[in-house]
Amino acid sequence: MEASKVDLFIMTNGKFFESHHVALIRDKLISTDDAKWSSVQTLQFKDPTFILIISILAGSLGIDRFLIGDTGLGVGKLLTCGGLGIWAIIDWFMIMDATREKNLEKLKIVLA
Amino acid sequence: MTRKDLFLYILLATGCTAGYIWLWVAGDDPNNESTVCLFKNVTSMPCPSCGSTRAVVALAEGDFMGAFQWNPIGFIIALVLVISPLWIASDLLARRRTLPGFIERAENWLQNPWVYAPAIILILANWLWTFSKGL
Repeated sequence: MEASKVDLFIMTNGKFFESHHVALIRDKLISTDDAKWSSVQTLQFKDPTFILIISILAGSLGIDRFLIGDTGLGVGKLLTCGGLGIWAIIDWFMIMDATREKNLEKLKIVLA
Repeated sequence: MTRKDLFLYILLATGCTAGYIWLWVAGDDPNNESTVCLFKNVTSMPCPSCGSTRAVVALAEGDFMGAFQWNPIGFIIALVLVISPLWIASDLLARRRTLPGFIERAENWLQNPWVYAPAIILILANWLWTFSKGL
């Protein structure tokens, strides 16, 4: 793909990924075929800040984990009342990175 | 073993240990009104799984009806508490990895709308019931 297209993608979507992954994503996108551009461009990523708000408000019901696609962990949190409240608090600090990891997985699936 | 699989085993093992410790600490006294539930402490409303400790304790005493009255979610928790240590141990002893595959299949099954829609309705109905019980 052209570098200008890739840089546009990085500029608009950089906040959805971990900072140490951005350089890797850029290299990967540049080496990817141009035909994948439209599917890459239309990908919807989860906003880590939005998920953090959900986690603070409804984290002990596991809604944050359900939203990013961690259904198993979501059920676990829901049934144990947010892991007796402890897991819910830990997730306030973990959920943004978890969301970014999930976004990367989503991008990897399209690029694979 | 991938990092994700290892994480799953560690998470389940710690979760179970914490669950048994919690039962041991909070379970002996059925009239213990104190709670660590974040949701209940903040909103003073019961969360969907409030009462499940008492349900698991009732189950351990063989009181199935009482457990259902406290919170039916207690049955699921008791099942997980009994099965997962055995499953982890058998996977460790036989050097297999059947648990992560099972959890992945269960997650995919749960992402089917015909499964999760009734599940959400059941959880909500159960939640409304916990309100009327005044847990």
